[in-house]
Amino acid sequence: MTSASARVVSRAARFSRLNTLWPWLCAASVALSLLMLGALLTLLLVRGLGHFWPATLEEVTLSSGETFAGHAVREVPLPQQEGDERLYFTGNQDIEGARWRWVAIEQIVERAQPTDLIRIDRSPWGDFIGHLVAIEQGDQRWAGDAAWQQLTALLALPASQRQAGQLLLTTVDGQTLRQPLANVASAQAPNTMAWRQKTYAWGEGVWRFLSEGPRAANTHGGVWPAIFGTVLMVILMSVIVTPFGVLAAIYLNEIAHQGRLTRLVRIGVRNLAGVPSIVYGVFGLGVFVYGIGGSLDEWFFSDTLPSPTFGTGGLLWASLTLALLTLPVVIVATEEGLARIPEAQREGAVALGATRLEMLTRIVLPMAAPAMLTGVILAVARAAGEVAPLMLVGVAKLAPQMPIDGEFPYLHLERKFMHLGYHLFDTAFHGEDVQAAIPLVYATALLLVLIVLMLNITAIFLRHYLSRQRGNEC
Amino acid sequence: MTPPRLTSARQPLRLLQDRVATGLITAGGVGVLLAILAIGIFLVWEALPLLAIGDTLALAKLSPLAWGTLKAALAALLFAIPVALGAAIYSALFMSPRLRTRIKPALEMMEAVPGVVVGFIAGLILAPWVERHLTSALVLIIWLPLSAGLAGLLWQLAKTRLRRRLPLSWAGLWLVPWLVFMVAIALWLAPWFEQQWLGGDLRHLLDQRFGIDYATRNAMIVGIAMGFAVIPSIYSLAEDALADVPASLIEGAQALGASRWQALWKVALTAAGPGIFSAVMIGAGRAVGETMIVLMASGNTALFSASPFEGMRSMAAAIAIELPEASPGGQTYHLLILAALVLFIFTFLVNTLAEVVRQRLRRRYRQMGGIS
Amino acid sequence: MLAPLHSANTSQAPVTHFSSESCCLSIDHLSLAYAGKEALRDLTLSVPRHRVTAFIGPSGCGKSTLLRAINRLHDLNESVMHSGQITLEGQDIYDPQMNVTELRRRVGMVFQTPNPFPMSIYENVAFGLRLQGRLPKRKRDDIIEWALSSAALWDEVKDRLHRSAWQLSGGQQQRLVIARTLAVQPDVLLLDEPASALDPISTLKIEELIRNLKSELTLVLVTHNMQQAARVSDYTAFLHQGELVEYGPTDQVFTNPRLQHTENYITGRIT
Repeated sequence: MTSASARVVSRAARFSRLNTLWPWLCAASVALSLLMLGALLTLLLVRGLGHFWPATLEEVTLSSGETFAGHAVREVPLPQQEGDERLYFTGNQDIEGARWRWVAIEQIVERAQPTDLIRIDRSPWGDFIGHLVAIEQGDQRWAGDAAWQQLTALLALPASQRQAGQLLLTTVDGQTLRQPLANVASAQAPNTMAWRQKTYAWGEGVWRFLSEGPRAANTHGGVWPAIFGTVLMVILMSVIVTPFGVLAAIYLNEIAHQGRLTRLVRIGVRNLAGVPSIVYGVFGLGVFVYGIGGSLDEWFFSDTLPSPTFGTGGLLWASLTLALLTLPVVIVATEEGLARIPEAQREGAVALGATRLEMLTRIVLPMAAPAMLTGVILAVARAAGEVAPLMLVGVAKLAPQMPIDGEFPYLHLERKFMHLGYHLFDTAFHGEDVQAAIPLVYATALLLVLIVLMLNITAIFLRHYLSRQRGNEC
Repeated sequence: MTPPRLTSARQPLRLLQDRVATGLITAGGVGVLLAILAIGIFLVWEALPLLAIGDTLALAKLSPLAWGTLKAALAALLFAIPVALGAAIYSALFMSPRLRTRIKPALEMMEAVPGVVVGFIAGLILAPWVERHLTSALVLIIWLPLSAGLAGLLWQLAKTRLRRRLPLSWAGLWLVPWLVFMVAIALWLAPWFEQQWLGGDLRHLLDQRFGIDYATRNAMIVGIAMGFAVIPSIYSLAEDALADVPASLIEGAQALGASRWQALWKVALTAAGPGIFSAVMIGAGRAVGETMIVLMASGNTALFSASPFEGMRSMAAAIAIELPEASPGGQTYHLLILAALVLFIFTFLVNTLAEVVRQRLRRRYRQMGGIS
Repeated sequence: MLAPLHSANTSQAPVTHFSSESCCLSIDHLSLAYAGKEALRDLTLSVPRHRVTAFIGPSGCGKSTLLRAINRLHDLNESVMHSGQITLEGQDIYDPQMNVTELRRRVGMVFQTPNPFPMSIYENVAFGLRLQGRLPKRKRDDIIEWALSSAALWDEVKDRLHRSAWQLSGGQQQRLVIARTLAVQPDVLLLDEPASALDPISTLKIEELIRNLKSELTLVLVTHNMQQAARVSDYTAFLHQGELVEYGPTDQVFTNPRLQHTENYITGRIT
């Protein structure tokens, strides 16, 4: 052995040792992706659901002698100096002019958690945090503990059965306030609540988030109209996209001559799934809203012009645009399902004397049904999370009327509607008090992600079931 | 035992039904396909006035948007390509098959997270955090790959029993806590690092020494957020291409004496090269067209700036903001439609290229007898 | 019945003639091409009623193609061109006036691999019946029982008629497919290597079934299994490269073939 060849070998060995680190970098990529996804979901879950947990209220005394009440939100280091500062949510916007307060931690002398601190959710001005002194209803007056019991009893009643009255409130620094009962949505005394009561209050909060409309510039209340609008739009969209997508897939796979042209069309359709959604939005605006909608207005609604009826964004145009956007998804999925059906099944049906229509409706379509369903679910999942095209064709910040109501013709296709995704965008970026709205934005984001993930997981299971079924067949 | 004969009077009706249905399906199918085609025709038609006049002023307005689009897409790809391809290589070639059936759908789930949610997290949570902890963020970006290498080195030095307990084939999973630990260390050390070497405030330093402005919502944030959205599409396609490389090829290379990693690197990556290329193309198409993330995480200022710490405005975001306000038929309207046309043509071409490459690759694998 | 011809090594095929009342199906100068490639060349033969006729020959000789032409299954494929005539009971099946679905009802077909539909056993057999229009349930049940009995399957499945057909064994599936075809009462049953995917016992059952069925209808069997052709068929046609080489009563074709070529194939010298 010469020393030269030994050197070559050892250098190769050293090189290969460094080389063996590559798989670890690759493994770390998987880990990093999982970590990012996990972190995103955890963040949404914790912040989205945590918001509804009744936070402990504190009475804070500062070194200057000033006191205020609120709950701590977060701490950040002070800019340009040592120490941290803490953000408190203090409510009482009508009294103090602001709902938030930053305090340097070293200025805090005392943090107490008095049991009689309560939090009241009112419909103008938002939260009040302070003490309840008394309730006056007509000539009757309750004070002290009796007042709190009376208040909870009153709020347990439906709003229509509550008698008018007012609350006498004081803040921790002694300012008093008379609050009409009619404006009060809920009240809690979180410092006295047991664990079970808090859970109950949490459930109630989640329910209110899902079932109520937004209040106080989206910082309170819920997202019910947005859920309703999203679901309605998606349903309309699937009603449009399913038959047309399936029709196109059947034509491409079962009827069209399988030549070069069909292959080109197939590639084209596949590629349209990759065209940015905003382009579909532009098409929807130009063709559906300005083109078709404008003409409809001229023909049928000329008495209300120049204010447009169909010539502006609305439920119908949004559904149509999203249907066009998701058409490739449905076509591709259905075609895959059709291609998977063995030719022997088709021949078997035809050999028994079935016409092509009978073969399609009795054998082929039932067998392709799970694939079609997968396609539609994937389309719905895509449409539910899509926001950009909707901004062009009919979504609204705050729709004054629901698209379905008791007025003829009950379903108002021309109305604008609210959408979870757009609601999220709008609240987070154009809200008046973004700080106060962020917890609800988290909750909205969580809801949206949960809906879309659920739909996708359903599609994955359907696909899994499909491939198992194919396995049985072989 | 002979049953009564069948009599059938339905024959003509059945044939008629069949003929009518076939006609309807054909009409419907062709109609749907034409409607899809109409998108391109509409865009060209509406953008034509602008192109016909050759309005250079209007076209000049488009260039910062085009630059912004490219910058955002590049930033996203810079982050997404290494991570997505690394993940694809690992899960196609090293991961245990049992884990792979779980991890692959999980990673593909990332694609399902709506852009508006990613944009919200990036614009309102990540961007302010990075602004306050710029050093920590940059340290993390450098430290995480190093820590993965460190894990590999430690593993090679570890005892056989530990190595068997934590095999490479499951590393995608057990590296997650390791990375969390490493992130914690980096966050803990970053302020000290900033004090020691960067004079206490990196942003101040950037501004003073290099004259670099720092915008809260900038290309780096967009890159990370949109990278997150693009990773799954690149990963999924690249993984398919790698997993479909015929096993005989890899075994053949190993039989020639190549180490496992050499075999994979040389043979698998070369064979799957076109597939990986098309995966990256699809990812680029997605990055160029993504609207909400750029809209929410970029600051939307139409600037010509290459700095990763400044914002941009992309074509898609400009369309989303300005088109509802533009009066139909006006110059802005046509300009934005032209932007949409550019997006349409670009993504369509890129996707077609990717699809053609992918199909050719699949044919080649089939010739090699790899997949059925 | 047979005009003896002793011209060895001619490609001109001898023709077996049947009188018009005993002839069920006759094929007259049939040529057929797939996408320009010739699969059958100038084929002429006639198939006797209530007999089993077997088509044998090496793979790719066009025997399956011929079978599918009798059912007009090639209609599904646009690239198939044909010339010549096929007549069923005196009717030209390629006549534009001919009702294809009715033709396919009259000419049933069973494929190489069992292809039961993804439905219950009952629904599989009822499928063809339902196409023909509404029947009272009682009558439909009768026909289904008759069809399953004729296919020697009734005793095995009568307790689980509403279970999925895909749970049956391969041989049972193939008999189910035969029953499904019998239910619409065809005049002719075409069998395309019906036992090639089955185990020996199932194969025997199918063969027995074929022998029993010839009292009801005319059967045409394509097989690559010479013993099977010898066991079940009355007449045998030997095809090679799209041409009819020899056609005659089975025992004669197998024991005393007229052409050297046929003998080479039967004795296994060519495959």
